[in-house]
Order: sequence, then C-alpha cells, then structure tokens
Amino acid sequence: MAFEFELPDVGEGVAEGELVEWHVAVGDHVAEDEVLADVETDKSIVDLPSPVTGTIAELHAEVGDVVPVGDVVVTIDTDAEVNGDADETTVDAETEREGEDAGGEDSGETPASGGRVFAPPHVRRLARELGVDVTSVAGSGPGGRVTEQDVRAAASTGGSDDDDVASAVSKVDESDSPESVASTASDDTEPKAAVSKVSDDGDATEPESAVSNVSDDSKRSAVRKASDTGEQRPAAADREKTLAVPATRKLAEEEGVEMDAVPTEKTQDGHAFVEPEDIRTYAEAQQATQQQEATAVSETATAGEATTEAVTGEAAVADGEVTREPYSGIRRSIGQHMEESVYTAPHATHHDTAVIDELVATRAELKPRAQQRGVSLTYLPFVMKAVVAALKEFPVLNTTLDEDNEEVVYRHFYNIGVATATEAGLMVPVVDAVDGKSLVEIAAETADLTERARERDLAREEMQGGTFSITNFGAIGGEYATPIINYPETAILGLGSIEQRPVVSDGEVVAAHTLPLSLSIDHRVIDGAEAAGFVNTVIEYLENPTLLLLE
Amino acid sequence: MVVGDVTTGTELLVIGGGPGGYVAAIRGAQLDLDVTLVEKDAYGGTCLNHGCIPSKALVSATDVAHAAGSAEHMGVHADPAIDMQGMVSWKDKLVRTLTKGVEHLCSDAGVNLIEGRAEFAGHDTARVVHDGEGEGSESISFEHAIIATGSRPIEIPGFEFDGERILSSRQVLSLESAPDSMLVVGGGYIGMELATVFQKVGTDVTVLEQLPDALPTYEDDVTEVVRDRAEELGVDFHFGHRATGWEEDGDGLLVTTESDDGEETFAAEKCLVAVGRRPVTETLNLDETDIETTENGFIGTDSKARTDIEHIFAVGDVAGEPMLAHKAFKEGEVAAEVVADEPAALDYQAMPAAVFTDPEIGSVGMTEAEAEDAGFTPAVGQMPLRASGRALTVDDTDGFVRVVADAESGFVLGGQIVGPDASEMVAELALAIEMGATLEDVAATVHIHPTLSEAVHEAVKGAAGRSIHY
Ligand SMILES: Cc1cc2nc3c(=O)[nH]c(=O)nc-3n(C[C@H](O)[C@H](O)[C@H](O)COP(=O)(O)OP(=O)(O)OC[C@H]3O[C@@H](n4cnc5c(N)ncnc54)[C@H](O)[C@@H]3O)c2cc1C
Repeated sequence: MAFEFELPDVGEGVAEGELVEWHVAVGDHVAEDEVLADVETDKSIVDLPSPVTGTIAELHAEVGDVVPVGDVVVTIDTDAEVNGDADETTVDAETEREGEDAGGEDSGETPASGGRVFAPPHVRRLARELGVDVTSVAGSGPGGRVTEQDVRAAASTGGSDDDDVASAVSKVDESDSPESVASTASDDTEPKAAVSKVSDDGDATEPESAVSNVSDDSKRSAVRKASDTGEQRPAAADREKTLAVPATRKLAEEEGVEMDAVPTEKTQDGHAFVEPEDIRTYAEAQQATQQQEATAVSETATAGEATTEAVTGEAAVADGEVTREPYSGIRRSIGQHMEESVYTAPHATHHDTAVIDELVATRAELKPRAQQRGVSLTYLPFVMKAVVAALKEFPVLNTTLDEDNEEVVYRHFYNIGVATATEAGLMVPVVDAVDGKSLVEIAAETADLTERARERDLAREEMQGGTFSITNFGAIGGEYATPIINYPETAILGLGSIEQRPVVSDGEVVAAHTLPLSLSIDHRVIDGAEAAGFVNTVIEYLENPTLLLLE
Repeated sequence: MVVGDVTTGTELLVIGGGPGGYVAAIRGAQLDLDVTLVEKDAYGGTCLNHGCIPSKALVSATDVAHAAGSAEHMGVHADPAIDMQGMVSWKDKLVRTLTKGVEHLCSDAGVNLIEGRAEFAGHDTARVVHDGEGEGSESISFEHAIIATGSRPIEIPGFEFDGERILSSRQVLSLESAPDSMLVVGGGYIGMELATVFQKVGTDVTVLEQLPDALPTYEDDVTEVVRDRAEELGVDFHFGHRATGWEEDGDGLLVTTESDDGEETFAAEKCLVAVGRRPVTETLNLDETDIETTENGFIGTDSKARTDIEHIFAVGDVAGEPMLAHKAFKEGEVAAEVVADEPAALDYQAMPAAVFTDPEIGSVGMTEAEAEDAGFTPAVGQMPLRASGRALTVDDTDGFVRVVADAESGFVLGGQIVGPDASEMVAELALAIEMGATLEDVAATVHIHPTLSEAVHEAVKGAAGRSIHY
C-alpha cells in the first residue's frame, strides 16, 4: 500500500520547510518513527519521523527544496495491510481509526493532515468508484475542498496513479477541439500553473515558492485548468436565479463575477447550480478577454506573454551575473525579527569603555580552578553578572513594552540572551535566572547553549523567555557597533574585543586591557541618562571584579 | 423449528441482531442479497434492550420530574411524585415497540430471521445452536458473514453481578423501586448518566472513580460543567478511589476502596458497577476460522470492515472502539454494501459522541490540541450559553459551544458542546465536517432565532473572527 507522506506542520504554524538532509533513500526499509529527513523551518531544524513502517518508494523533494506544508515529500510502501490491532482499535477516537482505515486495502483513502479528507461523502464515494485517490486530487472548492468535477477530471487525466503531464496534455490534443485549443493548452501550461497556484492559495504561498517549486500539484492543476477551458468556452449566461453554496457566492463576489452570468450545466431542483470552479473558469476567461483587448489596443503582440512572465518572475533571471539564494528558513526569520525590532523600537546607542586589567587578572586566577571542574571560564560570565547587578540598579533596562495595554512591564527575573553566530545565522539562546547562579554555573550553561546553537540542536524554548541580551561581536573583532535590540526586549549590550589599548592613567598614556561597550536602547522606554547610568554600573563592576562577590 | 442437522445456504449470514447486525441485514436485503440474521436474545441488541434507549427513557422521565420540581423561580410550583414502577414499565413499553419495529423492518426487507446462537463450524459454515433440551442445531453455509456480536459489561473480580446488591447497567435499568442509596463504581459515560438518573429520583448517589476525574476522554472544561451540575444535584464524588471488595451489611452493602489516603468504606443499598465493556467473541467458536482477536478481545478490521478473512466482516462493538450504536450502524451499512460490491468504505471523517448527562455533552472531530497535533493551525470559537437567549429561556445556561477549525483553509475540524441538547446541536458540526464545509459556509447559513443552534452559529463566527452576539 503506498502511503503518501505529506509534510506536516513541523513547527508551530509554519507554512513550509526546507529539506536539509535525507536520511533515507529509495528502497530503504524504515520503521515507524525512524527519522526520514531533517527539515529546516523558519524557527529551527527538526527531524521528520516516519509515520509508518515500510519501504521508501519515492522521494518527492531534493535537498534544498522548499516544501510547502501539506505537499507529499515521500511515498512509502507500507509493509502490510493494516488490520486493527489491539492498541490501535482500542485507544479511543476516530483519528486512530481513520489512520488505520487509510492503510486498508484498495480503499483509496490516504490520510491528509490528521487523517482528514476535505471532500463531501458522495465525492469520496465517486473517487472510490472511479479508482481515484481522493487525497492526491487538488481541490478547487472553497479552502481547497475536492469537488465532484475535480475527481472526474483526475479520473479522466489518468487519476492518481501518475501525473504525467505529457499524457494529460495529449489528452487535450486528442479532444475534438480545433488546433487552437491544443496550442493554448500547451502554451499556457507553465505560466498558468504558477499563476493559479498563487491565486488558489492566497497569501499562504508566496510567489517564490510557486516558482522554485513547480510541483506535481501545480502541474496537475494546470492541466486540469487547461482541459477545463478547452471543454467550455465560457460565454456569459443570463439567468434569473442561480443556486450555490454560501462560500461559492462569496468567491463570486471576490472575483467580481455576477452569479447569474456564470455558465454552468449543473442543476439542482431545476435551477442552475454553480460551483467554485465555474466561477474561476469564468473569471479567468473574462480576464483573458480583457487581456486580449488590451493587447489589441497597444498593438504589442507579445504583451500577454510579457505579463505572465513578469508574474512568474522568470524573466528576471540572467545567467551568470547574479545568483539567487532563497530568502527563507532561518535567514528570513532573522530578517523579519530585525525588521520588526528596528521599525518598532527607535534605537539609540551609547558607547563607553571599561578598563579591565583587574578582571583579566582575576579571570586568569580563576580559570585553572574552573578548568578543574571541567568548565572553561571566559569573560562572558563576568559580564553577565555585572549586567545583572546593573539591571537591578536600572530595572528599566529589563523591561518590555506592552503596547496593547500601554504599560511598561518590569521583569523581576534575569534571563540573559547570548547572541551566537552560527553557520545558519544568528541565534540567541537564553541563560535563565542568571542572578541565582554562580560564575561557574553560568559559564557551563552558556558554553553548552552556544555550542548546541552552533550544532543547531536547540529546542525552541531555549531561545525564548529572555529579558535582556548580550552580543559578543568582539569575539570576531571590532570595537564598537550598533547592536539591534532583541525585540521585544528593550536593551542589548554589545561587547567589543578585549585588547590592550592606550589609556590615560594619572596623566600618562599607558597600555591597559580594555573592553569597549555598545549599549542599544529602545528610546521609547529608556532615556539616554539611564543608558549611561547602566553602562557606568557595568563598568564599575567589571573594573572592580571583587564587587561581583556581593552579587 | 428445524430439529436435527439440516443445512441451508445463504449469501450473507449476519450474527447478532443489535445496531450493527440488523442494519447490515436490512441493507444487504435492500441490495438484493439473500440474508440470514441470527440473534440469540432480543432484536435490537444492547442498544434497544439494555442500553441507549432504556437509559435515555429514564433520563427524560427523571428530567421531567426534576424540572417540574425545581421551577419555582419560573412561577411553577410542583412537587412531583415518582412512581418507579410506572416509569420502568413505560420504558419497557417503548423498548417492546422498538424491538418489534426492528423485527418487522428486517422481515419486511426480506431478511430470513433465525433465533438462536450462531457459531462457526468452518470457514463457510455456521451452526445455529438453540438453547434448551432437544432443540438440536442447524447448519448454515454462507458466502459472506458479518459478525455483530456486540459487547458486555466488564466485571471487576470480587464484584460479580448478583442482581441483588451488585448490579450491571442492564439490571439497574430494570429496578422496580428506587433504592435509598447507591454506589456507582466508574465515572465513565454510563456511570455518569445513571448516577444522574438515580439522584433525580431521590437516591443518594456516590460515584467512586479510580481516575482523578469523571469522563476522562473529554477536556477538563467540558467535564467540569457536568461534574459541577451533578454535585449540585447532590451526587457525591470520590476520585482516586479503587473499589477493592465488599461485604453484606443488612439489606445493603459496604464497599471498600483504596486511595492515596488508605482504605475507606462506603455504605449503600445497591452498587452499580459500570467500568467499561468488553467485546463478545466467545459465543462464536472463532477457532473454526482463522480470525484472531486482538489483545483486548476485539476483531480487527480494515476500512471495508473486513476481518483477516476476505469474506467475513465484523461491525459494531465487537470490531473496536468507540463502542457506540451509530458507529455500529455505519459499519453495518458499509459491510453489507461491500458484500454487494458497492464502492463503500469506512471513510467517515469524524465519529460524533454524546453523553446524556445533565447537561449533555456532544462532541465530534478534533479538539484544539488534536488539531494542533495533526499539524493544523487551529482557529477556535467559543460561545458560552449564558450569552444565548434560548438557553436563558430554557433555564439552562451552563456550558458552551466550541468550534475548532483550520485557520488557513477555514475547514471545520471539530466541536465540543456541553449544554442542553448538546447531542442534537453537534449534528450540524458533524455535517460540516463530512462536507468539508468551511467556517464561511456555516457562518453564512441563517439559523433560526431563538434556538440553541444559534450558539453553534455564533461559535463558528467566533472562530472566523466576527461574532456578533458575544
Ligand atoms: C447503559 C448503556 C447506555 C448506552 N447508551 C448509548 C448511547 O446513548 N448512545 C450510543 O451510541 N451507544 C450507547 N450505548 C452503547 C450501545 O448500546 C452499543 O454501542 C451498541 O449496542 C453496539 O451495537 P452492536 O450491534 O455492536 O452490539 P449489541 O447491541 O451488543 O448487539 C449484539 C447482539 O448480538 C447477539 N449475539 C451475541 N453473540 C451471538 C451469537 N453467537 N449468535 C447470535 N447472536 C449473538 C446479542 O444477543 C446481541 O443482541 C449504551 C450502552 C449501555 C450499556
């Protein structure tokens, strides 16, 4: 039994995932729960466990593909016909039951998300009758519901077994229509796929995915669309009364289509009955006519093509001179986060320098002892301690702005985010309750979190709940920068590189270890004076590390 | 009566005349199959004789009494007297009408009815055994068989049903008088329904449940409404209590329980044990076929209700959870259609369920958590009944209607309703789910005012982000 595994929503409400690595190949045998692939969403990298036991029949995506949630990623031949065994039948509830049913013989039901199939019962029955796998039919109804016509179209284009475009197109060719129809069908196939995909899914699918992923699905829907238009040349009807379900009426309104003008051959109770695909076909035909008119007026024979090309975005790619990489996954997530922060919080940055010879000595002294406990002691834990001490003195830097309620929320806990550069981009794991931890504990925990961030092995929770962040850009080099606040926090402290630099001491220029500090604040909540006061306090603690004993 | 060993042939043999069996038989006959139905006890099975129907009859009768007696704030002053015998014989009359009805439906459809117990004698023959001396048996050879032997209550060791003090749900439904006090072991749906019935006839009811709450398959906020109401009525709950033994105590009994706080005893006149049901297969001589039962005694089936043996089907309680009459109906129908070569399958998208407590629970499809687990982004709308005009006028405002949908497509995924007539209200959501209807479809459908179904409408609008009345 072929099980079509659709990409589940692997994060919380993510719309797509990038395939990072396959752990299986065609022909491999997999057990239930065995990891099939790694998928990167805009939040993290997750394992994709197999929902069934069986043999890999086909991989539908390649490494690097961005797969929309709900698309089939792999087909698995399940080992056996599933006859309800003890646990499955007893453990309650229809979902269990459905899953099991799906495994059953020649039923044609493969579970969609959570075993649900969005098609009315008579359509599911028709699908069985025509031998169509209803779960692989692209629905044209409201929200993607599979209609009777969808199933019939799927059956006539070879059903679910293959989505062989060539055969489908030749099917159109064969049809009794004149050459013009055949050529329309083949010309239009690709652009239409992309365009119809965009309009079908609304904002869920961004254009780029429609392009980068001209999936089987869209091919199929293109073919169906093409044959539909081939069959019916929509001339406007003119009726007094038209029957349709409410969602169809709404669609008509959205498409700006007059219900009574939509041609249909279906009737119910003696009245014309219109379904969503009738609306779409009609709306498309109307658009096409409008476009043709426009073309005629501008006397540009290629205007129509140019428009469609612009929509697909393909015209923009020029070989060799630029390469394009998807702005997706973690990159896009970081980007969106930065955008939100900068456009929401007016940033102001305060710079100062701590002279930390004493801290350098203290750390050198403590380092071997920490080593004995298996911990490598960096400067970061000291800075974190100093930051907590300063936050206690300037609590306004440990806040968040609740815009809805117009309140500044003071957090009386100190969870410090540590910005970490990884291959995939910036991650900010959070060390919780820093105020209650010793230097060694902080050091160990920070090391563990940043290490796992680099290995992309962080749980989402480990990047949540921060109250203030630190970014150690100096580890790579540089003195000052303008850190972007880890919104909705209201402040972030950037650390420059620790180096010997000239400082003036008792009127003389001497070399001393210094740590340049860059503090960005959300100026809506925090004023410059508070920022300066905070940094002064941090400096005081860093310059006199014995003060840290008090903390 | 056929005596001796005579063999007759049939296209479809149905074993058991409960909801699963009689529906399969009627549907098969409608599709021109030659059908034989064997029932050992009473047509209509558990549901009609000892389950759904009798229990609902008593639920309604006691509701009438209770409502009449507690409507002084509505200006109605009454002190209803309950004649338990009258109530039970009214119920028995209903049951007789319905079982006769089932028998007639079967014979009118052309089903060949045989009374007796059927057991397998091979892959394609069964023997019908008649109880009693000298009744003999007859053999039936069949092309297809549908097993619909149902389920029976689970007995806890030491609490074997004696019909005196330790009662099954079936025995409780036929009590001639209301006991002064009753212990109910088990806070599942049967226990909760019957606890409510008896509390309303004046019995002091105490529920002993081993788990931390009643109705554990439902979400907490759903259960809470029902438990609170039961408590208001006077039902006493003891959770975390496992009944371990009992002894006679005058005309009544003392039941011992174990809990984290140690041993405790509870005294009462009667004790109902309702701790679940188990499938009936031992009446069948299954060994003669290659059908094996699962660990829990069920017969496993595929999406066409087929067992491991191609031409033998199993439907209803014997084929697995959830053990509900309407699930048995559906499976019986599908099995018969598959036998008749129709393109049928068990492809229902959700199995609705109801609990006829006060107030009722009706649920269908996914909860919010289940929707999340299934990979949807749930959009949830909830309408409290205290905001429903109709709920106010029926004087029953505890509870709510909750609708769960997929935020992206708008498809309705599930609903949880607790409140008056929840079992009726849930039907609309069940239809929406089967049709693949979107929130928009239901929201755009006009609902009658003032009705409880408006609460469903309002919850749907809530999920779509545009409620009006709440
Ligand atoms: C108190 C109570 C209340 C309930 N309330 C509800 C409710 O409100 N809603 C709901 O949906 N469900 C309810 N149920 C559950 C419902 O009764 C069952 O789900 C339903 O009866 C199952 O139908 P069935 O056909 O599978 O089995 P059954 O109804 O149990 O019928 C099986 C039949 O097979 C016969 N039989 C067994 N073995 C043989 C044999 N070898 N040969 C011949 N005949 C045989 C039995 O005598 C019986 O008549 C309730 C159950 C109880 C106990």
